[in-house]
Amino acid sequence: MTTRRDERLNFIDHLARWITWPRFIFAVTLIFFLTSILFPFYWMVSSSFKSYAEIGGRRPAYIPASLRLDAYRQLFDPNAPVSRTSSYENFGRNIINSIKVAVPTSLIAVILSTLGAYAVARLHFRGKELLLNSILIVYLFPGILLIIPLFAMVSQIGARIGFEVQDNLAVLVITYLAQTLPVALYMLANYFRTIPAEIEQAGLIDGCSRVEVIWRITLPLAIPALVSVAIYTFMIAWNEFLYALVFLNSREMFTMPIKINVIFNDPTPRPHVVMAASTIMTLPVVILFLALERFLEEGLTAGGVKG
Amino acid sequence: MAASAQVPQPSLRRRWYSLQAREARLAWMLVLPTALIVFGLVVFPAIFSIWISFHEVGLKNLNDVFHAPFAGLNNYRYVFNDFAFKFHSLQDWGAAVTSIVYSFSATILTVLIGLIAALLLNRPFRARGITRAIFLFPYVAPIVSVAFVWRWILDPRPSGVLNDILMRLHLIQLPQAYLSTRGLALLLVIIFEAWRYFPFAMLMILARLQAIDKTLYEAADVDGANTWHKFWYVTLPELRYVLGAVFLLRLIWTFNKFDDIFLLTGGGFGTNVLPVLTYQFSFKSYNFGKGAANAMILLLILVVFLVIYVSTVMRNVEE
Repeated sequence: MTTRRDERLNFIDHLARWITWPRFIFAVTLIFFLTSILFPFYWMVSSSFKSYAEIGGRRPAYIPASLRLDAYRQLFDPNAPVSRTSSYENFGRNIINSIKVAVPTSLIAVILSTLGAYAVARLHFRGKELLLNSILIVYLFPGILLIIPLFAMVSQIGARIGFEVQDNLAVLVITYLAQTLPVALYMLANYFRTIPAEIEQAGLIDGCSRVEVIWRITLPLAIPALVSVAIYTFMIAWNEFLYALVFLNSREMFTMPIKINVIFNDPTPRPHVVMAASTIMTLPVVILFLALERFLEEGLTAGGVKG
Repeated sequence: MAASAQVPQPSLRRRWYSLQAREARLAWMLVLPTALIVFGLVVFPAIFSIWISFHEVGLKNLNDVFHAPFAGLNNYRYVFNDFAFKFHSLQDWGAAVTSIVYSFSATILTVLIGLIAALLLNRPFRARGITRAIFLFPYVAPIVSVAFVWRWILDPRPSGVLNDILMRLHLIQLPQAYLSTRGLALLLVIIFEAWRYFPFAMLMILARLQAIDKTLYEAADVDGANTWHKFWYVTLPELRYVLGAVFLLRLIWTFNKFDDIFLLTGGGFGTNVLPVLTYQFSFKSYNFGKGAANAMILLLILVVFLVIYVSTVMRNVEE
């Protein structure tokens, strides 16, 4: 008995000695930050596993009784029971649409911005500074300002040439390129500048052409930057809301953000389904980010994620 | 005659084939696709938008915009007199004033919290790496997901978590509709902005913090400075420039932001800002002229911020 009490006293003594005011404030602030950041994410994932009864009850269920997949069934299973509080959402289609938009945007943005960034970093030409500065300023332009003229322009061109403007994923890809290219170019140009020009000159002296030098020497060295640009442009296209909202009309063509918005605004609220869809949309982004954090953090400060 | 005409040609040819010219041509060829897309889809539309703002453009003449009737300053007059735009009373600010209040207070709060987070992560402790990664979550996650999680947390029904917690603590008697209460809605939107975007400020500030010369602190120690003195006289002056840059960048982006407020409140309950109002004019009432006029007013304010940004931050970068 006595020894245990001594130990406890010792522990408290120890704690009292360890805790100083700065340490205490530090710990409290850290805990405050972590809970306010993590709680919404916990709430998103846990709500997605709740049943309709748990979601609509008089009290929120802090921990779902079991890992129920009701919400996910409504998203993916065509045979899920249909009632006022549940209906089949065919969410797989929306995931595919999002991929169909995000992957081409990312690939084309990487290719085009690699070409442009190489020129900006290595070659001398008149108007370079002007070009670079205007592209940077363009990046600070709001999407909402451009959406009206873009909508009018694309309708006009569509009527002339005869293609459908609404529900056309290719139109979306092109508008996303306009949003992502400036920052992609900027990030890549900065990276190319860190690769010593001597390496390329050695290649040129050895008889490689400019294109061969780029392909065999510069690009392999720039792979980290290429990967991070690819992921950022992918994320911008994956998350984009406004342009998709304006250009997409039919449920079949919705990308994930628009579909989630529609489910949320359903007359019968189904938060667990919204949270399940949000979880599906968030997971790949967060996992990609955690896996490649080292490459990506630098890009964040360069404005990789606009907004 | 024929001979003299041929004289300039070789020199022109030589210039065309000179190494410098070849390099410049290659450079332009490489930049061209990017430049075309960016200018065709950003610069041209921006100019076209000015044109639309002086014309009457609706859904029916959208396919034939160039023959839209000239409206003079009518669109601007309508926007200025619109109930949603104009300042009415202290309860009803209108989009222009709300925009300014919202973007300034959200930016200040974002930078402040970013500064605290950066100071927190600047001291060594166990699990710092993973903490730092977690701190970036709100910024990396898709806006639609986080906005709807917040709405679900702030849900007005008794099943909303915040309602439940505050009721258990006896701070409120009845469930509250947080996002549909004037004043409170704006405050929550501002807090949401700070929650989502502080990681950007944090990263920028942290990078600068870690570059501060350690000898400055040693010198301060020798002079007998305490923690607060060191922060106030050493850290803060060293951070002055990066704080300014982050503030301006965030101010511009917050001012432009459409998604956040549209998803959280739809622009209702005293949170209507210029981007959301532009959307409502153009794609709810399909009056594109009015929408463009509203966007032009937004642009005018934005240009002021941009000029400050370019003349301070961009110039400093070049130095």
